[in-house]
Amino acid sequence: MKIVVRIIFTVALIALGIWLWTIFFPNPETVVRQRILKLAKIASFTKDEGNFSRVAAGERVGGFFSTNVEINITIPGHEQDTLVGRAEITQAVLQVREAVREIVVKVPDVQVTLAPDKQSAVADVTVDVEISGERDALVQEMKFTFQKMDGDWLITKIETVRTLN
Amino acid sequence: MLRIVILVVVCFFVFKFMLIPIRVTGISMSPTYKDDSVNFVNRFAYWWHEPQRGDVVGIQFAGPHLMLLKRIVGLPGETISFENGRVMINSQPLAESYEKGSCNWNMPAEKIGADEYYVVGDNREMPQSLHMQGRVERWRILGKALL
Repeated sequence: MKIVVRIIFTVALIALGIWLWTIFFPNPETVVRQRILKLAKIASFTKDEGNFSRVAAGERVGGFFSTNVEINITIPGHEQDTLVGRAEITQAVLQVREAVREIVVKVPDVQVTLAPDKQSAVADVTVDVEISGERDALVQEMKFTFQKMDGDWLITKIETVRTLN
Repeated sequence: MLRIVILVVVCFFVFKFMLIPIRVTGISMSPTYKDDSVNFVNRFAYWWHEPQRGDVVGIQFAGPHLMLLKRIVGLPGETISFENGRVMINSQPLAESYEKGSCNWNMPAEKIGADEYYVVGDNREMPQSLHMQGRVERWRILGKALL
């Protein structure tokens, strides 16, 4: 009986060790996935948001991108939009937060593919955006390109993916 | 107790991997599927045969949690066009009993690839520019709408 308890205890200890290892040293795929989820959370806002929070959110969103980031968005029924550089993104975030009362951004699916050198990654993401006043949510598949820079995974490119051609 | 456990396990596998429950949002499949209705996508439907014309299918984006619900009107290798609202397959009009409203869509002839299907919603009364339609690769088709 004693040996069984010892085996169970040892297995539990190993499992705990592995779990803690993945928490403290997550693999790059997990890091990229967490970055996207965090970005979606910061991009969401409610009507109660104050001016200070709005400016802070703009700055925080900018921190997810490389300085030379490029965003190309083409959505059926809308004009094509291109943003280049962190400053333009921060500006766009502030403009959206001023123009719209409330936005909820969800990313129900994130598929991360790591490059063989483990210094870059591509994430295929389904983005679901609920805008206050709009009846239907905007659902769009997007491709995020990440680059590891000074230990940080930064977004270097975002482009829309045409699910239907 | 054991029966409940077995039931829970069976339900989990059925609704996770075989019949994916979905809630239809939007009007692009109206009147066949109304906004906010509930349905299932049968992932086993195309294990033994390929998708057929007229099938309503679930089309995945980056993953299985959100999908488009559309009807297949064009098959691999065919040429499709819209002429005054009528779907033309290889220059022949397609009989569509499910299409009820008036439609004035036009689209030049387009060749469907070897591993592609052409999908469109049933609501052709809405503006064409706001309606998601087009060629979809086979791997994106998750399954067939059950109801």
